[in-house]
Amino acid sequence: MIEGQLRRQLARRIAWLGRAAQILILIVLIAGYWRVQVMDGAGYREQAENNRLRKLTIRSPRGLIFDRDGRLLAENVPRYNLRFDRQAARGDARARSVAYAAGVLGAPVEEIKAAVDGHRGVRPLALAEDLSLPQVAQLSVRHLEHPAFEIETEHRRLYRYAHQTAHLLGYLGEIGARELAASDGAYRAGDVIGKKGIERLFDAQLRGATGEQVVVVDSRGRRLENFRRDDPEPGRSLRLTLDLALQQAAVEALGDRAGAVVAMRPDGALLALVSQPAFNPNLFAHGISAADWQALLDHPRDPLQNRTIQNAYPPGSIFKIIMAMAGLDHLGVDPEERVFCRGYSVIYNHRYRCWKAAGHGSVNLREAMKGSCNVYFQQLGQRLGIDAIADYARRFGLGVHTGIALANERPGLVPDDRWSREKRGTRWFPGETISVAIGQGPILVTPIQMATLMAAIAVDGRRPTPRLVAAVGAPGSDPTVPPAGGDGISGDPIHTTPPLPIAPRDFARVRDALWAVVNEDGGTARKAQVEGLDVAGKTGTAQVVRQITWTKNEDLAPEVRDHAWFAAFAPVDDPQLVVVVFVENGGGGSTSAAPVAGTVYRAAAALGLIRPTRVPHGAPTERTAR
Amino acid sequence: MIGSPLRVDDAGRARLSHTHPGPLIAALLLAIFGLLTIHSASAELASSLLPRQATFLALGLICLGVVFLIDYHRLIDLAPFLYAGALVLLVLTLFIGHEVKGARSWLLIGPMRLQPAEFTKLATALLLARVLARGDQPYLDLRRLLQAGAIVAVPALLIAAQNDLGSTAMFAAMAATMVLVAGVRPRLLAALVLLGAIGAGLFWQFGMQPYQRSRIVSFLNAEQDPLGAGYQVRQSKIAVGSGMFWGRGYLQGTQSQLRFLPERSSDFIMAVLAEEWGFAGVAVVLGLYGLYIGSGVRIALRSRDRLGMLLVAGLLALFSFHVLYNTAMVVGLLPITGIPLPFLSHGGSFMMMNFLAVALILGIDHRRYVNR
Repeated sequence: MIEGQLRRQLARRIAWLGRAAQILILIVLIAGYWRVQVMDGAGYREQAENNRLRKLTIRSPRGLIFDRDGRLLAENVPRYNLRFDRQAARGDARARSVAYAAGVLGAPVEEIKAAVDGHRGVRPLALAEDLSLPQVAQLSVRHLEHPAFEIETEHRRLYRYAHQTAHLLGYLGEIGARELAASDGAYRAGDVIGKKGIERLFDAQLRGATGEQVVVVDSRGRRLENFRRDDPEPGRSLRLTLDLALQQAAVEALGDRAGAVVAMRPDGALLALVSQPAFNPNLFAHGISAADWQALLDHPRDPLQNRTIQNAYPPGSIFKIIMAMAGLDHLGVDPEERVFCRGYSVIYNHRYRCWKAAGHGSVNLREAMKGSCNVYFQQLGQRLGIDAIADYARRFGLGVHTGIALANERPGLVPDDRWSREKRGTRWFPGETISVAIGQGPILVTPIQMATLMAAIAVDGRRPTPRLVAAVGAPGSDPTVPPAGGDGISGDPIHTTPPLPIAPRDFARVRDALWAVVNEDGGTARKAQVEGLDVAGKTGTAQVVRQITWTKNEDLAPEVRDHAWFAAFAPVDDPQLVVVVFVENGGGGSTSAAPVAGTVYRAAAALGLIRPTRVPHGAPTERTAR
Repeated sequence: MIGSPLRVDDAGRARLSHTHPGPLIAALLLAIFGLLTIHSASAELASSLLPRQATFLALGLICLGVVFLIDYHRLIDLAPFLYAGALVLLVLTLFIGHEVKGARSWLLIGPMRLQPAEFTKLATALLLARVLARGDQPYLDLRRLLQAGAIVAVPALLIAAQNDLGSTAMFAAMAATMVLVAGVRPRLLAALVLLGAIGAGLFWQFGMQPYQRSRIVSFLNAEQDPLGAGYQVRQSKIAVGSGMFWGRGYLQGTQSQLRFLPERSSDFIMAVLAEEWGFAGVAVVLGLYGLYIGSGVRIALRSRDRLGMLLVAGLLALFSFHVLYNTAMVVGLLPITGIPLPFLSHGGSFMMMNFLAVALILGIDHRRYVNR
């Protein structure tokens, strides 16, 4: 073959292969680089950012909690940790810092050096926790020489009056998996959040906003530099309606008995909210020990229960207040109408006892209330019937939540025929009405409900929503200054129901009767009397077991003794403070609950929480004027 | 164009100005781009690799100058000796070679680290051109085919024994292209393809190291194992992709500067470039490679004899396979193998081999009118 032909053949193949190579390069450029860089570029750019940036959470100090006078109830106690930033010191400088740290911490140099050199995390190494103040000082004064040292401040929650405010304030704990899932991204794993009480309900305000430090890391996860910082927003402080001194007086008055005390303004502002026994919320601050937790669970009286809102009991004779209102309003009962009490009455062929075996004799409404005569109210109950009774009970807030800003409030129970058919599967028996008429049987109320009932009686039927938080600090305000206000704008709103459509005259009659309960001879709450203060109230005794024969409560085993109630407001003509006392298995209301209320009123007066009354109740001019 | 090579210049002499400047211009621009990128890829190291690479570039240019002066026919005459010398070096490497990352590919000569495989590529190309250019038939006969097979098989197997799979593949690709250019009967070609497929299967089963197999498997399902063998591809694609159209800016590539990218200055130099210069930079670089190939082809077509044509074709094939494989692997189109990028990747032997190839190609063009 001629050379020229061979050359042309070769040339054709080379030209073809060369073109093929160029086309392949073009394909790589389009299918590879165009696709990855231009079409998917933004996604890869984001991945590159994720590669190099790490987010470190900066937690903000939690807001403080003050009482109404600005007394500190919950605070943050700093705890100092030493972190060692190896990026800030290299070579000799690092060796010097290691040696100095070893000296301050009293640890072998080799140990510190090994820890520092072996550290690979994004955050600087936590070299020591909970430093003593002298150690902090030693490390801080030499900070310029040792830039590797970072004194980290950690805050631990401290409740100054531990047991005394335990149920009210609640406590903190690490967020659980379920709470995290339900929070919709507001919380992160490892967050410490309010678990109970105000800490929980006002967690969003108290915690502020978590900040973030974004840092640049290399492929081994070592921190290279700071990138961006979102400063945390400090938590907002709360000022409560609570009065610490009154709270302490109430705790003291209750002593070591189990029970509850509620002290509330008629507009719903709570001045004291005590539940006994209590627990130490400080134990929860950094994780409660298993032994401490078990001890709380094993306690026979269940210290974790907030008895003011979580436990419902029969109201006993306090319920007679609602009976009186229903009788006056619904039946138009003449308050002077008399009933004869022989110590018992026979209704539906059944003998119902009065607590006074000898009988009260002939009593009108006022005398029946004063002596807490069962016979009078049993007969009134028979006339009213269960549905009317239940209707009035509900109007006064029983059977529903009061709306207090605390979790796990119980609504109690107002029984009627419908309830009986739905829940028990049987009709309501008229005989049960007779029990309910004196606050026994299936009816259940909480101490906080009794407080709102008394407030409604005191102010002509305007029932308040109890509130605890007077004011919340404005965003960005100094958390160490108690927030001003209390007008219900930034804290819990002031809310009362519209007045019940019951004649004010009827309220006045009942108030007068309640005044007599405390202040006149023959009243059951003489022990709640306070010199110079017109207290009006009603005792109650909730039976724990139905008694066939009357046994003196003192002779019963403690756990089956009756629960003692006393609910009051004062002064009767210028109501300023509602007090409800509940003593679990305390026996009679007059003997164990009423004196506690008396002590609380005396303390409130001494603390200036009640303005003195100008005209005493029962003065002749006053009464005839009515 | 194809018919023009026999045209003779007025004076009957070669002139420097008649030599096609394309390959040299492309090579120099790419090498400068390479220096910049290597500096960036090694910026966070204790010492930049830039001075080293600049030295290699200078050495490469000296080699270019020297070899350009030698007539390629002289080199073809010397080819058997060069080839034999290269084989001796390869065998020596097997016994006293220096091992880096599992590949025993380097000979230590004083301060220099020599990679004999690179020079073997050139020696083999010379010898193959000499053998394949001999016949006067449109297709190669079986004897010559076997000869060519033997010439390429010996160094390829020696390099495979060094665990340098990438270079072995480049050898095979270069030889195949040269044989194809020289002409193979279609039926024989079909048989060879079949044989090659069977051979590849056997090689997969018996010839490959487990890590090499895992690379290919991980390439086929990269998402399954993001931190294992798939890590390099993943980081490389993130680097390339995050450059987007205009790039993150010189020395600003986070994937490279923060060391997420492996083998930044050698096999993955293209990813660094793509991250910092973006698609725009990649297009320019690939355009230069295209220019190199295009002008190379032009030189091949107008070269004086079939010897020159075959030699240029072989060198271009070697070059193209390196470029295509490396750029495709960096962007995740092919499994990862240790194949560097001509003129850009850090490495002395490879740089010199590429400039020697430029010298040969330019020399062939320069001597296209000269009678022997």
